Amino acid sequence: MSYYDVDAILTDGEKVPCRFELDVPYLGHLDNSNGLKPGTRLNLPLWLAEMFALASAGEDSKPPLTLTLPPCLSEQVLAALKADPRAVPLRDQSAYFYGVAVRMLDLFDERELSAILRTTFVVRAADVGLHARKAEESGLGGQGEEFLRGLDEWERRLFRRGHEGVKWAKEWTDNVKKS
Amino acid sequence: MYGDLGIKLVQHAKRTQNLAHLPPYQAELVRAVTREVRDLNKDVDDLLEPFQGSFDPAEDQAVAYTLLVNHISMRRNKRCLLAYHRTRTDKLEELVWNGADVIDLSGQQVRDGGASGSKGVASGDGSTSSLSPQEEDYVRQYGDLLAAYKGQWTDIDLTGSLEPPRDLFIDVRVLKDAGEIQTEYGAITLTKNSQFYVRQGDVERLIAQGYLQKLS
Repeated sequence: MSYYDVDAILTDGEKVPCRFELDVPYLGHLDNSNGLKPGTRLNLPLWLAEMFALASAGEDSKPPLTLTLPPCLSEQVLAALKADPRAVPLRDQSAYFYGVAVRMLDLFDERELSAILRTTFVVRAADVGLHARKAEESGLGGQGEEFLRGLDEWERRLFRRGHEGVKWAKEWTDNVKKS
Repeated sequence: MYGDLGIKLVQHAKRTQNLAHLPPYQAELVRAVTREVRDLNKDVDDLLEPFQGSFDPAEDQAVAYTLLVNHISMRRNKRCLLAYHRTRTDKLEELVWNGADVIDLSGQQVRDGGASGSKGVASGDGSTSSLSPQEEDYVRQYGDLLAAYKGQWTDIDLTGSLEPPRDLFIDVRVLKDAGEIQTEYGAITLTKNSQFYVRQGDVERLIAQGYLQKLS
């Protein structure tokens, strides 16, 4: 993940819910009030929330902010993923679903979450590959359309790569036959 | 919210990645983001002013965290700005390697604008180039650099086509006046709508630039 990576930057722009633990009068602009009170709940983008959750001013002071898992990784979504990963349109949860999930796993120690996500990715990747190979023949549309619409950004890239691979292999074999 | 403009800029960069040509430079957005950074920096200065350089974060946490938010926001904006410009320069370098001219690039925008209706005309007001002046400079200098690099090997064209030619000589039709060119077999004057039987190596660049059309 490079500093200049556009996708990484957009992933960092996704919002996560957090709770403020301190009284900071100057930061009212974060939730359009006159100052943040302890216990205020607000949605902050990852790039801000992460640094804040890890920061602490003194040695014994607690961090000024506690993070919670974003709604795209809520119990309901995970339950749905456990039931059938292919039936959940990940894009509706977050366009950078896996990116956000990986960043959250850096901060939280959630064994079960990572196991669910891994299964989800593997099961869905197989389907993505299948669609990428068949996209040529069936054209866009048909039954796969609903599934493909729900791909998150990682899966979209996978799909594109798969599709290009098939296309280029076909071009190459055609060329060999010609000459 | 700080950083929102940066996101917009990066979304532009993302769109740019998937396009064949270079969309117009977002001068307005870039200016807004830099203005935001300047405002943030001023806030930091104002906050630190009463402390006269003896600020202790543990004593005044509220100020410390405000400074942190401002600092992170500035860093975030910097990253967005850099990523946007990097995406564009990457694209420009690619175009230079493919043999495009700066003048050519601006010309292309005119054609694109004409094709997609009045959009180009409305936003164009006089300037037709989609590059910022700095980017035009960059392209020119990068082109010079590339030319100098290529000059080290006179018997091989680094930006030439990777496809092995099937025929040494090809038929070409002239689409735009390109003046006189020198070949091993003497000079040819390329005037519009004329047709020639020439060595492919001699005219490859002119084909890439759209002066000639290859007839199969």
